[in-house]
Amino acid sequence: MIPSVHGQAGGSIPAQAGIGLRFQHHRAVLEEKPRVAWFEVHSENYFGGGTPLRYLDTIRHDYPVSLHGVGLSLGSAEGLDERHLARLRRLMERIEPGLVSEHLAWNAVDGTHFADLLPLPLTEETLSVVGRNIEVTQDFLGRQILLENPSSYLRYRHSSIPEWQFMAEIAERTGCGILCDVNNIFVSACNHGFDARHYLRSLPAEHIGEIHLAGHRMRSFDDGRSIRIDDHGSRVCDEVWQLYAFATERFGQVPTLIEWDTDVPALSVLTEEAAKAQAIMDAQLRHARAA
Amino acid sequence: MPALLELQRSFSVFLLASKDQEIGRHIQEDGFSAAERLRIYRNTCRSTLVEALRMTYPAVDRLAGSDFFSAAAEQFAEHHPARSAYLNEYGSGFADFLAGLDSANGVPYLADVARFEWTLSVAANAEDAPVLEPSALLSVPPEENGALCFLGHPSVSFLELAYPADQIADAVLSGNDAAMAEVDISSGPVRLVVHRGPAGLEAERLGLPAYRFVSRLCGGEALGLLIESAADDAPALLAEQLAKGRLTGFRIAK
Repeated sequence: MIPSVHGQAGGSIPAQAGIGLRFQHHRAVLEEKPRVAWFEVHSENYFGGGTPLRYLDTIRHDYPVSLHGVGLSLGSAEGLDERHLARLRRLMERIEPGLVSEHLAWNAVDGTHFADLLPLPLTEETLSVVGRNIEVTQDFLGRQILLENPSSYLRYRHSSIPEWQFMAEIAERTGCGILCDVNNIFVSACNHGFDARHYLRSLPAEHIGEIHLAGHRMRSFDDGRSIRIDDHGSRVCDEVWQLYAFATERFGQVPTLIEWDTDVPALSVLTEEAAKAQAIMDAQLRHARAA
Repeated sequence: MPALLELQRSFSVFLLASKDQEIGRHIQEDGFSAAERLRIYRNTCRSTLVEALRMTYPAVDRLAGSDFFSAAAEQFAEHHPARSAYLNEYGSGFADFLAGLDSANGVPYLADVARFEWTLSVAANAEDAPVLEPSALLSVPPEENGALCFLGHPSVSFLELAYPADQIADAVLSGNDAAMAEVDISSGPVRLVVHRGPAGLEAERLGLPAYRFVSRLCGGEALGLLIESAADDAPALLAEQLAKGRLTGFRIAK
């Protein structure tokens, strides 16, 4: 029996704003014990032993922790890397995370690994590949995972299923939850010209287990064209905050994470961003209670 | 419509070589060419590997200069893709690659510094394992002491280098010009044992007899054989390895 999205046993992630924890802040978190509802880490950064894992061992006693993967390659047609799965399970058993998540993407083929979240054609075949890989993962880990929608910079000619429908269908088939990255929806919507609010309206609220927020940048070309790149290197932009408010109306109170991976700022900047997300959640709750 | 596996193979050809445009046929262009869209992914893949190398080889980066390092790392990444998503494992062959370059930016000891930094990285990221407590050996009957075979801690590595790369790396990373000026690069080979113990990462220089003893000890050779062939200070060396946490277990050879 796969546990439901909310109310995981042991270190469960509260429906509040949390922060993506990076190595630069390990020490500050231990020494300053900032008021943060929960932390999320990249699983692969803790696959080895030594100092990072020791810090995480300590931090998890004070805060709920979520494990977020970037390299499992759930979209690989040739199946999953068993060694990767085994390392993830070992880490999971040690950290006892409240949530475990991965991406709708691929990054490995024929034994070569690519350090990016590569885009998938959204087809019936991909539905069955991703569905099978998620089932294998959930069976192996003995728990539900969340699947995150990625940012994308290209679409395939033969894609036949809108991404929102693909996400909903996968959740329905596998029992996985959805990690709704609002910034990624905004980036992809701008890059490909679809309506971000329609995307959010089309996701099944009952499957949303977590929300991600982050900054992105605009890459401009000499001829005036531009494309949005999801680099997690700045504050969340106004349009994404507005979309987030819309998402909280749709999904209610959901654990929400501030991610920042390049040019990582002082911890206080991240707690400011988390406070902003929390204020939007609180306003939504007041609004819902008044209604 | 291509099968997913075929599509992923075709995409990977672009990421690795960037010449094959086969994948481009399957990509919607609207406003950007397929190659422009694909290059966004290739650039991220490549720059992530370059930055992973820079994290592992900070002293090489300083010695060679950031531009030289980036160019060398790009070239290395092009020919040596990652084999797993665990990027701490990436870059094992970088030292040999640097050694094979025509110009290591005029720094003859660059490859040795890379070898040293790779060993540090392996030690830093090695799996956790318990440290063998000397008291555990009290249960071994004295007549079996000669058959004791030790298991080295997973973080232990041995390294023989032509240049004093440990001293060079320390000096360059601490930004200590005086220490750098004191380095005598012709001082002859250094032999190092590197490990991660309770006190953190340590790289210790050893003389040849001690180096041989400790590497064989950590490699699991029976203590009796080692003591026969080793110097008189074998008991002290064994005690030191236990104290530093370089041993994680033992067995009695049959």
